[in-house]
Amino acid sequence: MIVEMKGIEKVFSHVHALKGVDFSVRRGEVHALLGENGAGKSTLIKVLTGVYPKDGGEIVFDGKPVEIESRDDAFKLGIAVIFQEFSLIPTLSVTQNILLGKEKQKFGVLRKKAMRKEVAELIERFDFPLNPDDIIETLSVAQKQMVEILKALSTNARLIVMDEPTASLSAKESEMLYRIIAQLRDRGVSIIYISHRLEEVFALSDRITVLRDGHLVGVIEHDDIVPDKVVNMMIGKELSDATASRNLSVSSARTVLEVKNLSSLGKYENVSFEVKAGEVVVLTGLVGSGRTEVLRSIFSADRYDSGEILFEGKKLPKSTAKVIDRGFGLIPEDRRTQGFVPLLSVEKNVASTNYDTLSKHGFVLRRRERELGQRAVKIVDLRPANPAVPVGNLSGGNQQKAVLAKWLTRDLKVILVDEPTVGIDIGAKDEIYNFIEGLAKEGVAVLLVSSDIAEVLRVAHRIIVMKEGRIIHEFHEGVATQADILLAASGIRAERKEA
Amino acid sequence: MQKKWLARLYKNRQLVILVLLCLVFAVLLPRKFLTIGNFRNILYAISLQGIMICGATFPVLLAGIDRTVSGSAALAGAVCCTTIVSHGFSTGGTLLGVLLGIGVGLLSGVFHGLVLSRFNIPAFLLTLATSEILYGLVQTVTGNQLINVMNAKLFNLVGSSRILGVPVPVYILLACFLFTYVMLNHTVYGRHLYCVGGNREAAKLSGINVRKIIIVAYIVSGVMGALSGLVLSSMNQQASASQAKGYENDVLAAIVVGGVSLRGGAGTIQGAMFGALLIGILTNGLQLLGVASVYHDLIKGLIIIAAVAVDMYSSHKMSGLKRGSALRRMFRRHRHESQLKAGA
Repeated sequence: MIVEMKGIEKVFSHVHALKGVDFSVRRGEVHALLGENGAGKSTLIKVLTGVYPKDGGEIVFDGKPVEIESRDDAFKLGIAVIFQEFSLIPTLSVTQNILLGKEKQKFGVLRKKAMRKEVAELIERFDFPLNPDDIIETLSVAQKQMVEILKALSTNARLIVMDEPTASLSAKESEMLYRIIAQLRDRGVSIIYISHRLEEVFALSDRITVLRDGHLVGVIEHDDIVPDKVVNMMIGKELSDATASRNLSVSSARTVLEVKNLSSLGKYENVSFEVKAGEVVVLTGLVGSGRTEVLRSIFSADRYDSGEILFEGKKLPKSTAKVIDRGFGLIPEDRRTQGFVPLLSVEKNVASTNYDTLSKHGFVLRRRERELGQRAVKIVDLRPANPAVPVGNLSGGNQQKAVLAKWLTRDLKVILVDEPTVGIDIGAKDEIYNFIEGLAKEGVAVLLVSSDIAEVLRVAHRIIVMKEGRIIHEFHEGVATQADILLAASGIRAERKEA
Repeated sequence: MQKKWLARLYKNRQLVILVLLCLVFAVLLPRKFLTIGNFRNILYAISLQGIMICGATFPVLLAGIDRTVSGSAALAGAVCCTTIVSHGFSTGGTLLGVLLGIGVGLLSGVFHGLVLSRFNIPAFLLTLATSEILYGLVQTVTGNQLINVMNAKLFNLVGSSRILGVPVPVYILLACFLFTYVMLNHTVYGRHLYCVGGNREAAKLSGINVRKIIIVAYIVSGVMGALSGLVLSSMNQQASASQAKGYENDVLAAIVVGGVSLRGGAGTIQGAMFGALLIGILTNGLQLLGVASVYHDLIKGLIIIAAVAVDMYSSHKMSGLKRGSALRRMFRRHRHESQLKAGA
């Protein structure tokens, strides 16, 4: 064993994040850590790498009990983490980055040749397509990742944690990464692999540890890896019926929004679907599968290359203002950077989409603006119920309600919703689902993008699964379960049901 | 009870500061400072930069900046004066000159607006460069010589006459102030401007035509810059190649001192005017006290630093962070970042 974590406990002020978790990694193995969002994977890794202090349990590294109290401690032991966001300096060369903080010098002068040679040897040993003199910002994402890996190896890392390493890689680049991982394993380096892409986890891993709600569910040996079994371990059996599965059905109402063969180079391809009045259609799939991009194209926030978007049988104009004018609304993916203006009050934020009815000859009708603010606060039950509070000062859930209010105050026909409950507490989540369902009941066509499977099963009438920019599966009718969707999204059951 | 009183005082702190400053100078300079004549001087002195501020506040509210207000002023003055001279100081020539001068500001604004709304260039760099270009053009237009318009009676009336004892440039400043006040507070454009300045992406996704907002902002800035250049030429009865040079720094200083955030989306034109008045009164008082002008700049610099500190403090309060030492905040931010980095 390279590392053994025994009975690890971690308590945050309200949440018991890790409840006596055991986790161990052998020398020279690829060990995947699986679990749904909030299962405790990240927390466990943070305890291992010294970001969080543990509240109980012990860690044995290479046979010796250790206390890892900082990132530096982990680093000295030989534990390296490859982050999703790179810690490289974009304007420096590969050599300078790999040897950052470990520069060779003589009398205070850098020994550039010796440094370059060392890095060149390192690159050659692993046969990476890199040049020691390349500047980081000119490299592809995959190459940057290789530099990160080399940086870890240059310090003789013996355990490398990879957190969603393929999230922003193309299929070809991912293949290359798999080969690198195999190579590292053969040289005796251990790898902890975290990924939402189940197919690659199943292909790569020597063993899998599954966590759920801060508990260890089980450790699966290579020969026992069966996709259905692993997925069931991840989601658990004791789920309530409400979110474990859902009855789907095709509505017979008139079609409001129709997307035909929509394509945008490098983002998504040949996407077709329709949304009927009063229907909640969910676009799901892994992050980066092109869902958000489709949504933004419909709203004219981004361009698309070919295909058609029809609203009530007519072509939808390519201008956000005109799309809004037709009765569209968008709850964007990241409310902080896209949803509201933090310094402005709730009233001004809500009014920002409503000046067509709040102005005359370009002048603001102050009284109506104020009335709308008060009405908005009531509609979404905002706390505090004060339209003068800057939206930036509200809690996450109330911020999202303020964003909702921007559109609920309008005469909506179609609402596009992107990951509406990320970072929101359970109570506010439920309120937001109620708004979505309420809108659908009023006949609004709802198109929802979500990765949260419980959420998908809570509100969906129909479910469309995307992978790598294409629709790979549609759930139209009958019962859909969590396992069905998880397996479809990771491409394991990728046959497309014909409607 | 006491807290409410303090809160009201804090809310009107700008006015309080001005009154306190006036009181100090009134005590130090009995019979000299608190006179109608002196206040006329103060207003006359700030009118030029005040007009520029009314325009330059627009780009700053968009988290941009327009360093060409002085360049527009100089070129407008030069174009206007050469036109007046070439038309033999006639009334028609004067009108044409004024129109052409304003046109210079309009063109400069359209150019900046088009470029900055289309390309992701820092406004500071672009306007730094175009400012040089504008002054280069001024030298070409004037041939690097003073253009004397002493004989243009009508034109010079603006800079030299008074109505009801108040100099005409002060009325022009008042008109510009009212224009900006109404634009920012009572029009849809103003509401959209604050949205774009506060969060460009959110504004775009709310259907706001971000490009239009940016272009109009730089046009207003350019035109008001040009207008102040015409007033300056009228005051001096001439145009020079280095006219208004350096004014852009005073203008931006006043805007920042007045609490308009350089990060955009926050601040008022009243605040910016307060900044101008504060600097104007201070300069006037120090002059009357006989303090060497070297120290004026020094004191101005200190005031700007104080204003920036207040801006940072209040934006921290806005972001919901608790009060604490700057060091502790820095530490907390650092920890937060490292936690974020350590995994998602």
